[in-house]
Amino acid sequence: MIEQLNIFGGFVSLGLAVAIIAGILTLVAHVVLQRLRIDRFFWRPILLDLTLFLSFWWGLSIMVNRFLPLLIAR
Amino acid sequence: MNREHLVKAFSTFLLLIIAAVLIVALWIRYQIQPTTRDGKVAADIVQVTPDVSGWITSVNVHDNETVKKGQPLLTIDQSRYQLALAQAHAALDSQRIALAQANRDDRRNHALSTLVDTETIEKGEEKVGLLQSAVANAQAALSLAQLNLARTVLRAPVDGVISNMTLQPGDYLTSGKEAFALVDTASLRIEGYFVETKIPAINIGDKADVRLMGVAGVIHGHVESIAAGIVDRERDKSANMLDNIQPEYTYVRLAQRIPVRIAIDQVPKGIRLIAGQTASVEILPHPGEAAEQRSWPW
Repeated sequence: MIEQLNIFGGFVSLGLAVAIIAGILTLVAHVVLQRLRIDRFFWRPILLDLTLFLSFWWGLSIMVNRFLPLLIAR
Repeated sequence: MNREHLVKAFSTFLLLIIAAVLIVALWIRYQIQPTTRDGKVAADIVQVTPDVSGWITSVNVHDNETVKKGQPLLTIDQSRYQLALAQAHAALDSQRIALAQANRDDRRNHALSTLVDTETIEKGEEKVGLLQSAVANAQAALSLAQLNLARTVLRAPVDGVISNMTLQPGDYLTSGKEAFALVDTASLRIEGYFVETKIPAINIGDKADVRLMGVAGVIHGHVESIAAGIVDRERDKSANMLDNIQPEYTYVRLAQRIPVRIAIDQVPKGIRLIAGQTASVEILPHPGEAAEQRSWPW
């Protein structure tokens, strides 16, 4: 598992970096889903945002772990 | 209307379940999996120390040079030790001559025992005994002088790499005082500092993947051993030998870290291991391990 990411010389926890990216993706998804009026299917639309954020975080952390080493190796 | 309520209830319930599962998955991934960013490349460091004092007359190695066990590293001025050796030789010779003479006297005394009084014979025997001891003493002094002379050549105690070597001919070395460091390359290993909560998931022999900070490529190894103890920071000895326990108790407590020693099995080509480098360590699961101690198999 890759544990850290080099951002201009400073090494930060990959979990944190992925969480930030997941947060940005969630914001984008939030805007798109709002336009699609998808929130009418849920009692608590904020719960959808939270689930999306967690999904992005989890999914990205797996993808980064799988694909980043291949990228570096190339 | 009813149908809409049903859809809302179902979808919200589904979201809740998905969110809960993801929270658990993330928790396991980041909090339970036995990985650490807090690891170091470690090696045993030999503090190369001269056994005799003196000026350095020649330096045979340079900084960061790889050396073999027994290789001469530097030579300390031998003049004084050669003189001591000559002195020891002379002392031994003189004692041997004296002993030879004492032996001759003793033999003569015994041959003429009817003419020589008992006291003289006994004194002669005593002298032979004393001189035999003196010869043994001089021989030991000679061996010591030879040893001191041999120790003027400082040799590598193990295979390794010289480190932080700035000595030049003319520098003075004092016996028993460290001159420079020699990194024992055979002892290179990874020390992973794992939080104590992750130790139950680590077993001796588990495979481990190690990544050096900012270096592509994975070093493969296995868990060799786990430290048997760390310092208790909350307990000191006071001046009168009674225990001094810290009275503070913080609400937010940080898990302590325990060193786990990872033996290196294989290093990819082009990766140079330097003692002190930062490393991330991941302990890989082994078959038949309890699921709750491990991450999910993603």
